[in-house]
Amino acid sequence: MTQPPAKSKSSLATHPVASAIIAIVLIAAVFFVLYVPLYARATPKVGDFPFFYFYLLIYMPVLGVVLWIVVTVQRRLRPGPVPDAAAAAGADPGEVAP
Amino acid sequence: MSHVNYVTFTIVVVLFLVVTLTGFAAARWRRTEDMMHLNEWGLGGRGFGTFVAWFLLGGDLYTAYTFIAVPAAVFGAGAVTGFFAVSYTIMVFPIALVFLPRLWSVARVHNYITPADFVRGRYGSRGLSLAVAFTGILALMPYIALQLVGIQAVLTVMGVGTTSSNTFLKDLPLIIAFLVLAVFTYVSGLRAPALIAFIKDALVYLMIIVAVLYIPTRIGGWGHIFAAGQAHLKAISPTTHKPNGVFIPISGNSQLAFSTLALGSALALFCYPHAVTGVLSTKRRDVIKRNMALLPLYSIMLAFIALLGYMAVADKTTAGNVKKAGNAQLAVPYLFQHLFPSWFTGLAFSAIVIGALVPAAIMAIAAANLFTRNIFREFFKPDASPRLQTRVSQWVSLVVKIGALLFAVELPHTFSINLQLLGGIWILQTFPALVFGLFTRWFDRWALLAGWLGGMLFGTIAAYKVATPTTSHWAGSVDIEFGHTVYIGLAAIILNLAISVVLTLILRAARVPAGADETLPHQYTDDPAAAPVPVPAAPGLGTAGD
Repeated sequence: MTQPPAKSKSSLATHPVASAIIAIVLIAAVFFVLYVPLYARATPKVGDFPFFYFYLLIYMPVLGVVLWIVVTVQRRLRPGPVPDAAAAAGADPGEVAP
Repeated sequence: MSHVNYVTFTIVVVLFLVVTLTGFAAARWRRTEDMMHLNEWGLGGRGFGTFVAWFLLGGDLYTAYTFIAVPAAVFGAGAVTGFFAVSYTIMVFPIALVFLPRLWSVARVHNYITPADFVRGRYGSRGLSLAVAFTGILALMPYIALQLVGIQAVLTVMGVGTTSSNTFLKDLPLIIAFLVLAVFTYVSGLRAPALIAFIKDALVYLMIIVAVLYIPTRIGGWGHIFAAGQAHLKAISPTTHKPNGVFIPISGNSQLAFSTLALGSALALFCYPHAVTGVLSTKRRDVIKRNMALLPLYSIMLAFIALLGYMAVADKTTAGNVKKAGNAQLAVPYLFQHLFPSWFTGLAFSAIVIGALVPAAIMAIAAANLFTRNIFREFFKPDASPRLQTRVSQWVSLVVKIGALLFAVELPHTFSINLQLLGGIWILQTFPALVFGLFTRWFDRWALLAGWLGGMLFGTIAAYKVATPTTSHWAGSVDIEFGHTVYIGLAAIILNLAISVVLTLILRAARVPAGADETLPHQYTDDPAAAPVPVPAAPGLGTAGD
């Protein structure tokens, strides 16, 4: 997979567990749609929708919720309410690069 | 086909007038003292919040051509070359969430307006920056032209202009629509599409919700729609002697094509200059992040729009009309015209026409900014004042639109479509310089340039060689590379990366100077509340650390 390499060491240092979880969640979010054999099936049908089409349709609202949680967690992890101070430089712990 | 439905026509014209007025009024929206700065004209003051940005980005990324072409591809060939767009618009957001906030931050600190501005500052390389700017403009031109093709599809089905044998009269409605668009973009800049995006999105959502709830009740339900789609795709095409398409990608080859198309397109999307323009117009770093979670709502709409392709197959009249016209791109307009009452058809057609105007305006602005910042200022007039830069951008946006108009009117549509297909492959070749550049300065600038060139050449030649029994060249963007059926763009970027890595190692060993980097590590995560002070900095000089 072509993904940007991990570089933000500062974030990993401050919140290693949360950062790792976020990285795993984002990689999983891509993987579960990239790996087609998981869902390229006609059955089980959901309503009249073949599974393949249903899976991709339901994926999007789920993804939206997951990404919203990720973004919210990243905000929580940010130290102190001084976003515009240069002192906070390089310390956006939510910035995770899988 | 020559019969014009006046109810439909009147509604389209009235809504077009509303949009025109909105476009001109937008100049006064969030007005600041000095409009003659590219931050104002070209980025709407860099002050859009989550709400406006959601409409703007949605209106920007999901183009009218998408509304026409994706269902047309699903109608013609099914899942692999059509429905992959859904998988692609899923993948793009988790990927973009990783790098877009960094791009936003560094662009905010250094007052970058285009992706090539960033590349210039990061690598201190005029050549690499020019390559990125050139690729961007090249990829945007046919994309703008295709927005016109989207409008044309609607006009054709409405019967407007098609009866005349005079080419000029035939294209007159299109020319008028585009000139109006060009003028209000010139006057209002990015504020115009931002405001019009509200109307566009409201209409598009209305159209698709009604279509999804209503059309299946008219043509026998979803079960019938999928069954008809499957039967059509299984049928053997008389010209190619192969099935028409793939309903569910079960074979290894079709799965690989499906996922590489999706991944390649997802990586490419936010390399497009118009996408970057939308991103940089936002107020805060969090606005971008939140939008990555909110934009998948648009993808749901896209998925249903894609399924309109199967509805067009299932509706015999529509399928017949499309076959008679010999143009799959008319599938959705015909479907609406046949099944909706004429007033609602008017609303739906307006959604497509207005849907074309928003991205076309943003693309023209993005291309104009690239020209002004990375060609005009970089190579011809380094001391250009913000005022002059804005003036140049305004004029270039006009030129770009007229160029696109000529494209759409004079050249066969297949030409624009092929070019847009190539555009996706080309723009992907700027990914290493742009996106990897946001994380590391490891790559050498010359190595990246060589990789870009290699990827561009390989991608273009490979796409040229794709043939089907009906088309000798440019028959698609999927081909067999190294024994696997993959998206050409993805194969090209792997080659691009290989060249970049190997050459970087060689140049490093040869101790070739790495060039200046005006960015600092913390600037990629900064979140300055105030927009950069509009001071014309000499390119690449003295802006570091401000």
